[in-house]
Amino acid sequence: MIAHPFDYLTPKSLPEALLLLADPDAKALAGGMSLIPMMKLRLAAPAKLVDLRGVPGLTSISEESGRLKIGALATHFDIESSRLVRAKCPLLAMAAAHIGDVQVRNMGTIGGSIAHADPAADYPAALQALEATISIAGVGGTRAVSAAEFFVDTFTTAVGPGELVVEVSVPVEAAGTGTSYQKCLQPASGFAIVGVAARLQAVSGNISMARIGVTGLSGCSFRANGVEALLESGSDPQAAAAAIANGIDANSDIHASAEYRLHLARVYAAKAIRAALAAAR
Amino acid sequence: MASVITEQEKLIGKGIKRKEDPRLITGTATYVDDMQLPGMHHACIVRSPYAAANIKSIDIKAALETPGVVAVYTGAAVKDVGPVPCGASLPGLRVPHHHILAQDRVYFVGHPVAVVVATDRYIARDGADLVEVDYDVLPAVADPEKALADGAPAVHPQWPDNVAFNFHQENGEVEKVFAEAEVVVKQRITSQRLIPSSMETRAVLAEYRSGEKALTIYSSSQIPHLLRTLVAGMLGVPEHKLRVVVPEVGGGFGSKLNVYAEEALMGWIAMKTGKPVKWIESRRENFLTTIHGRGHVDYYEIAAKKDGTITGIRLKLIQDLGAYHQLLTPAIPTLSVLMMPGLYRCQTICADIVGVFTNCVPTDAYRGAGRPEATHGIERMVDMLAAELKMDAAELRLKNFIQPGEFPFASATGLTYDSGDYAKPLKKALDIVNYMGLREQQRKARAEGRWMGIGMSTYGEICAFGPSPATPAGGWESASVRIEPSGKITVHTGVSPHGQGEETTFSQIVADELGVDFNDVVVLHGDTAIVQYGIGTFGSRGTAVGGTALYFALQELKAKIKRFGAMLLDTDSVVYEEGRCACRKTGNSVSLAEIAGASYRAMKLPPGTEPGMMATYFWEPPNFTFPFGAHIVVTEVDKETGVVTIQRYVAVDDCGKILNPLIVAGQVHGGVAQGIGQSLYEHGIYDDNGQLLTGEFMDYAIPKITMMPWIESEHTETPSPVNPLGVKGVGEAGTIGCSPAVVNSVVDALSPLGVRHLDMPLSPEKIWKVLQGGQA
Amino acid sequence: MKVTGSHLVPLDRARVYSMLQDPEVLAACMPGCEKLEKSGEDSYTMKMKMALAAISGQFDGKVSITDQNPPGSFRLLVEGTSKIGFMKGGGLLTLTTEGDATCVAYEGDVQVGGTLAAVGQRLIDATSKMMIKRFFEKLIAVQP
Repeated sequence: MIAHPFDYLTPKSLPEALLLLADPDAKALAGGMSLIPMMKLRLAAPAKLVDLRGVPGLTSISEESGRLKIGALATHFDIESSRLVRAKCPLLAMAAAHIGDVQVRNMGTIGGSIAHADPAADYPAALQALEATISIAGVGGTRAVSAAEFFVDTFTTAVGPGELVVEVSVPVEAAGTGTSYQKCLQPASGFAIVGVAARLQAVSGNISMARIGVTGLSGCSFRANGVEALLESGSDPQAAAAAIANGIDANSDIHASAEYRLHLARVYAAKAIRAALAAAR
Repeated sequence: MASVITEQEKLIGKGIKRKEDPRLITGTATYVDDMQLPGMHHACIVRSPYAAANIKSIDIKAALETPGVVAVYTGAAVKDVGPVPCGASLPGLRVPHHHILAQDRVYFVGHPVAVVVATDRYIARDGADLVEVDYDVLPAVADPEKALADGAPAVHPQWPDNVAFNFHQENGEVEKVFAEAEVVVKQRITSQRLIPSSMETRAVLAEYRSGEKALTIYSSSQIPHLLRTLVAGMLGVPEHKLRVVVPEVGGGFGSKLNVYAEEALMGWIAMKTGKPVKWIESRRENFLTTIHGRGHVDYYEIAAKKDGTITGIRLKLIQDLGAYHQLLTPAIPTLSVLMMPGLYRCQTICADIVGVFTNCVPTDAYRGAGRPEATHGIERMVDMLAAELKMDAAELRLKNFIQPGEFPFASATGLTYDSGDYAKPLKKALDIVNYMGLREQQRKARAEGRWMGIGMSTYGEICAFGPSPATPAGGWESASVRIEPSGKITVHTGVSPHGQGEETTFSQIVADELGVDFNDVVVLHGDTAIVQYGIGTFGSRGTAVGGTALYFALQELKAKIKRFGAMLLDTDSVVYEEGRCACRKTGNSVSLAEIAGASYRAMKLPPGTEPGMMATYFWEPPNFTFPFGAHIVVTEVDKETGVVTIQRYVAVDDCGKILNPLIVAGQVHGGVAQGIGQSLYEHGIYDDNGQLLTGEFMDYAIPKITMMPWIESEHTETPSPVNPLGVKGVGEAGTIGCSPAVVNSVVDALSPLGVRHLDMPLSPEKIWKVLQGGQA
Repeated sequence: MKVTGSHLVPLDRARVYSMLQDPEVLAACMPGCEKLEKSGEDSYTMKMKMALAAISGQFDGKVSITDQNPPGSFRLLVEGTSKIGFMKGGGLLTLTTEGDATCVAYEGDVQVGGTLAAVGQRLIDATSKMMIKRFFEKLIAVQP
């Protein structure tokens, strides 16, 4: 569990960090919860580690014109315990609270987690359901992409070489919106076998808006559009949840076969939808 | 004035906080990795990524050229070092020569192939990456039943059947009993491979002083003295020139009751290079190369009368040994056979063990070592018999228990159970859970469509290993007690505590016996240069055997104290109480410190008495001890997901006399945690090619605190007649009692679906599939 | 671990079959393939750089094609070893015509060993599928 030799760089500003990351052998370090174990196993061997923790302004959580702006270096604990997030975007706080254990949540950051894009991470389900916007900075400037565009495939995101996630923006939930994140956890790693985030707007039980984000089930997080359409057209939650697995090529491993994962996805989708409906009241 | 200690203030029986804990929880304890010696090198081991392969060539040139790399050694360099020892002897046992580095073939993933020695740990690791090993990959076999099949790859080419040994034991008229049985229940039951996962991995530091020709090995071990004797033999170092030091040990669970290749290898490197060398096992190496536990496939048959009387037990036990024998590998399943009748009176048994080589890391002692497997087997079979006979599981057990008047009881497997009242903990546990009320609750739950289960296990164990004739390396234990001139007390114990809290319990024993302050006692262990020979800590023996040796040493010492006390008080009759010798007639008294001081000053000596104040005792136990107990587990199975939730866990353990309830509770909690681990989560899985699929904590699930139920821990106290302390041992009880209770509970929950058996771990998917199909 | 799946390639079956036998096409499509050299009849040596998430490794490997039954099926075996472990994937590819396109179905095994196997069994399935997907995406892209 000894890493390869590497240079450790500590930029003090975002432009400096981006300059250092222009080197293809450099890798950004945020909380290190995925990168450091990989380095210790020597599966990852970046020649340079660019530690972002000295870059100012990346940890703030603030409200701005109807949205919450969350700095990429906000830790999972910052997010789960933020009064602002809990009050205005509880789904994100819930997803954060499901990550790993306390030690991991104290170190790991939202930017690091989503840029890594583990197919079983918790945030992607919530960010998909929240239709979050992710700001990506590069030497040429900053661009914003939607969660749906951001998560491309297994460990693959819209972040290009030399770019950095700098901010995640999520909506302040309107009154009448209910959300829930429900996760079946893999007992060894704590990652999601499946995780479903539901975000619903309902008036006296009638769903006017449904957003369902799914993680863990397949190679990449996704929005379950079929389930959303069913819910919005008045379908019963159970029946709508059943559609979550339609057309999905589910993952299979020693912890859960594809068949069982698909089943769990239906079960947890129904749980999340029911809980979100209850919260919407 | 001496403090007045009344009987009520005796420390034995009190929940005194552990002396060890402040240093452990403040990070100020000294482990092997905390030790730095001048000029120390670091070693990194190159290991096979294949389960079976011939080594065609090894190129060490690039590694040797790395600045900072001091040496690289391969199998050829160490071929004359003695083999890693197997201490178990069984008739006809095939023992493969276990070199400390692979010679021309590797036998499991993780097999050490070469070692890189460098000036720091990082360079050693970099050097290891530069060692080029050219392998010719061979077919491997990782499953013991597949290894027994015709045409299976041979783990060791000289033994194509992969059988290391066959072992047979029987008692009574087995054929007749089974032929005449009114009911016979059969079941295949597995006890999966488990990975011990101690918090501290293995760690070795070796130092050679060429002037003294003396080698010191620091190792994270449970058996310092045996390690010294055996490694001295491997390296050809005279035993008196080898010192083994075991500093703080971060857990072992049996995995450090062993002698490993790396311990001898570091000693060899230190002698070869003349520089100290340290090796710290990585967690990845720990998964791959430290022994695993369990690995049973058991075929059980139980014969009974219609009234529930168990008349015979038959077992075919297939033990996955792995590629080699470590210290006790082949002996572990024989312990299962010894324990196979459990707490039941049945005198007819028949057991056949087949020990099977596989291309996996060896199995060996892991918490419970053979007894959890046996208890799991018999307790599952008794539940299945109850179901078959439509009897209540508790009632069937009570009917078959050995009764209190029958002790000492000669078991069918040749043991003599010391003492017991088996109904007592079961009845207590049934009372605690309100068994009848629970069954009623279960009926209601089922009516509501919920799968609630109630399961129990009544276990017995063989502890306090043990009488020397029954153990491979002596089963006695030693203690010495020295009262220093100031009256402070130094205890040297031959056991090697690594989490069991004996610095505390032994201080309690000394405090009570000598009437001294608990804080005036220090308990030293784990250094062969300062502690007289001892056996070590394993098999729930520390207090029952080591504590008893201490007790007898204290009796000898008290006699000497009294002789000095009588001399100082100028009388021929004294009593020793509350830390003072007193003359009843005159009322004069003298303190222990004054007596100790006088014994060293030695101005005058009692007739025939040596100066100084020290006693040493080697105690040979006349028998094992046999703790027992009852665990009851209430579970509910989620119908949608198959997830098992433990709703109540009641453990009533009888470990004989309890010296410190806090420590006993800790042992029960830890044991139950590992039992729940086996029942629900843990499984060391090898694929068909011998790759360990659960080679990190990302895939191997040990229970976290959030996955643990509240444990209601209670006790009955049936003293053991084997030792004067009356203690039996508790280190393994929680693990042994747990798994059958959990599985019985889940099987009970699903019994309306026709489920009669489930193998561990009870993963949600496994249960879900049962719920889908309605059959196990 | 078993892998099965299928991809649609918008070309006729004979063409797809011949592309899949062409070392230049294979080299261009295999994720991370840096070099593919003929070492015998339908067998090649390969250098491949794997880069996935933070994981990176230089693999030396072999590619071999057997049991050719043009244009319907063949077996493909890819194996590679590196400092971080080894991987081996092989299986039967079956080509069937679907309208103007060809469906390439695969059924095989992926085996991972060494440290690579330690990163998490949970990732092997998703990763293998992604690699195969990328292969077919490139295959479609390289057609002249």
